[in-house]
Amino acid sequence: MKTRLSPITRAGLALSATLALAGTALAAPELPAELPPFGKDKPLVVPKITQTTLPNGLQVWVVPRNGIPRVDFVLAVRGAGLGADAPDAPGRAKLLAGLLSEGTATRSSRQIAEAAQAMGGGVGAAASNDGIRISANALASRAGDMMQLLADVARRPAFPEGEVQLAKANALQGLKASGAQPGFRAAKALDGAIYGDHAYGRTQETEAAITALTAEGLRAEHARRFRPDHALLVITGRIDAAKATQLAREAFGDWKATGEPLPELAAPPATMPVQRLLLERPGSVQATLRLGRPGMAASGDEQVALRLTSAILGTGFSSRVNINLREEKGYTYGARAGGVSWRVGGAITGGADVRNEVTGAAMTEYLKEYRRIGTEPVPEAEMAMNKRYMAGSYLVSTQLQGSLGQQLAGNWLVGLPADFLGKFVPALQKVTAAEVQAVGKKYFNPDEQSWVVVGDAEKIGEQLKAFGEFKVVKP
Amino acid sequence: MIQTTRRAVLGALGAAALALTSGPSFAAPAAAARADRWDVPVHVKKLDNGLTVIISPDPSSPTVGISVVYKVGMRLEPRNRTGFAHLFEHLMFQGTPKAPKGVFDKVITSGGGNNNGSTRADFTNYIETAPSSALDAMLWLEADRMTTLDFNAATLKNQQDVVKEEIRVNVQNQPYGGFMWIDIGGLAFDKWENKHDGYGSFVDLENANLDDVRAFHRDFYGPNNAVLSIAGDVTPAQGFALAQKYFGKIPARPTPKPTDFSEGLNTAERRLTQSDKLAQVPAIAAAWKLPERGSRDQAPFAVLGQLLAGGDASRLYQGLVKGRELALNVSSFYGLTSIWEYDGPTLFTLFALYKPTTNADVLLGAIDEEVARIVKDGVDDATLKNLKTALLADWYNDLEMFLRRADRLAKLQALWGDASVVNKVPGWIESVTSADVQRVAATYLTRANRSVIDRKPAAMLAAPAAAKAASQP
Repeated sequence: MKTRLSPITRAGLALSATLALAGTALAAPELPAELPPFGKDKPLVVPKITQTTLPNGLQVWVVPRNGIPRVDFVLAVRGAGLGADAPDAPGRAKLLAGLLSEGTATRSSRQIAEAAQAMGGGVGAAASNDGIRISANALASRAGDMMQLLADVARRPAFPEGEVQLAKANALQGLKASGAQPGFRAAKALDGAIYGDHAYGRTQETEAAITALTAEGLRAEHARRFRPDHALLVITGRIDAAKATQLAREAFGDWKATGEPLPELAAPPATMPVQRLLLERPGSVQATLRLGRPGMAASGDEQVALRLTSAILGTGFSSRVNINLREEKGYTYGARAGGVSWRVGGAITGGADVRNEVTGAAMTEYLKEYRRIGTEPVPEAEMAMNKRYMAGSYLVSTQLQGSLGQQLAGNWLVGLPADFLGKFVPALQKVTAAEVQAVGKKYFNPDEQSWVVVGDAEKIGEQLKAFGEFKVVKP
Repeated sequence: MIQTTRRAVLGALGAAALALTSGPSFAAPAAAARADRWDVPVHVKKLDNGLTVIISPDPSSPTVGISVVYKVGMRLEPRNRTGFAHLFEHLMFQGTPKAPKGVFDKVITSGGGNNNGSTRADFTNYIETAPSSALDAMLWLEADRMTTLDFNAATLKNQQDVVKEEIRVNVQNQPYGGFMWIDIGGLAFDKWENKHDGYGSFVDLENANLDDVRAFHRDFYGPNNAVLSIAGDVTPAQGFALAQKYFGKIPARPTPKPTDFSEGLNTAERRLTQSDKLAQVPAIAAAWKLPERGSRDQAPFAVLGQLLAGGDASRLYQGLVKGRELALNVSSFYGLTSIWEYDGPTLFTLFALYKPTTNADVLLGAIDEEVARIVKDGVDDATLKNLKTALLADWYNDLEMFLRRADRLAKLQALWGDASVVNKVPGWIESVTSADVQRVAATYLTRANRSVIDRKPAAMLAAPAAAKAASQP
């Protein structure tokens, strides 16, 4: 439903928050003789986290910072996300999250919005596969007020009838609007091919699931999913640790769990049969190409190696697929590939949007790059460059207090320890070219990738034939 | 209070380093208001070749953000070369005689950094961020491409292809196709500089040649037409010395005579209905011409924009999405930049997807009602205070990342001739009164000054026409 308005840029890359990854040039150009060398790197800064567990099980982590006059909060509730949605209710967690701030026992939706504005901040929730994250921020002087508002939204949402009906009506229209975007349709089909029947594979809402939603059902889901012993509160910014912990105690200390905790999700299949789908989109001026296969859980042994492999192969301006398909061939505005990891499983995905005439040629280049990463060791210089890149990205991303909080909460939701962030760069330095090649061979094997192509069958159908039989799916 | 000085006048001021603030204060403040104030250190110096250099030190992270802003954008591209300013921006990454294609990205990646560029109506910016150990190398690269480019037919062809794919993926293959920023400008403005499609026509893009590239670089990419800004792990003395070392020898180059692209407010409403082959849900864009940069109406408009469309507490969200339940969402924007980052005719645009059960006239009627209420009653003290708090917080939020801090300072210097506007905006916002908001709403948010595009799914437009035809004998 969001409108992205970042056109006219060199690439639609988010330069901000996340631990982004990127790679290197194929035919490594000679560096100019005059180019000044890099200076000496400063010692790595590791975030100091003050950790407390309240008697009700809620974990509270505080990272004080002397940055801008703002305090950031993330309340992460594990197991409350899309993974907990029933097979007939895909995407429910999204609506559950969205409606948390649409009214509580004592505040209307409007009062919540106005209160947040008065604090110079905001409060809102979003669902991911492994949890729901409520994020909030406020000017430093209003940290206590925002903590109270956050607790109200998390603990006492009312799901007022009128708000639920409005959210349903808008979600139905929103689903129609999203369905017009080729990327949205491709993502849904690719998730199905990668995860099969697993909950990770059906995270997009359906018309039937939205229609079936009730306020009562949402209240029941909230009670079932939200509990202090499955939650983490991260506070970052201009506040000291003792004060922040005290505020957390006041707002969340009497929060009690009810009933049994939800069971952990089972892991999705480690391999899946290859699918080839052509989602018809008559009149499309590009082919939206996506490929993928099952990936690695976040706590997998080769997690750091997978991230490095993804960087080399497919994230950022100078990754192999982008250099090849964009900078050398001019097929696309941007090409990417890499792994995404969740608590009990993950996905390897890649893709580019290309003009119709080069559909087959672009697919060929993808398969070539996927094969190469698993069969040829990455040259030492390319390894070193990407390690430096990822170490730098760590420093840049932790510059932002909000991003630091989100990374800590995100890691916790997927089962990574609190010190993963601080230990990431040293672990990265130890990854060898042989390990990258092994990860490449296992996860980027071109013969195991499913293909999803959204486009005009008349224009591109012939070019797909070389890649096997494609099942045609009507809009 | 808002200065209207143009950059030509301010150039004279820039000769000396202006240390305007002493930097952020971390001392535990007694009063809440003080706890929420934050000043950005701004040090400015102009090199002999006309390059303005800004340094904003912050030792809290061992990283830097760099922005080089050139005072040229889509307004100044040649007449039969729509989209050229943006195509040129792509070519800035395609190599130089000393650093051939591939070197730029390789060096910044190896330095642990990221880079990007973007083209707007009044400026083009080039940004990179990395650990401070890569500062020298990044500055060398920026200076190298300011000096000259590798004017090369192969890279031109490659980026013509890439830009066409960018337009396909962002415009032609998407529902709504960017009508809320491309087509609305074509409707609302009169002068070619302001109204043409800055993404460009494929014909114009394909016609671009190496002579165009050379001329554009020569005319608009000299040091005297640029601002270099560095924020983060750098001291003013160090930053100025590095700027002199890498950029000091680039000669100034004459810039073309300024064009007058100003135009007044519109005097009659402009309406257009468009058919969208890909969209499934109708949408509307309503836009009003904004006050000029530096006008006393600019800060009140910032407050007005927040009141009307700034998030979930806003009048239009509460009145159109909630309340009347007509729209699925309401978003607003100031051109493709922000209320403080333009220097020529620019639009305040509302964009909404609306329910098929209503129509554009009902939506516009509801917007008019909300505007009329502001014109009549103004805004109460408590709400006004909240709006100012929200604007202040947003202003700080956008300055948190070193990269964005450097970029904002560079843009303010380029557009206002004064990077220290960064520390003046909070005061300007603070001084806005309810009467100011009323005046500005009555002056700019008029029907006469409004341009509207109603964008409907093709099937929706076809349906009533078919029904009408069928009902005729």
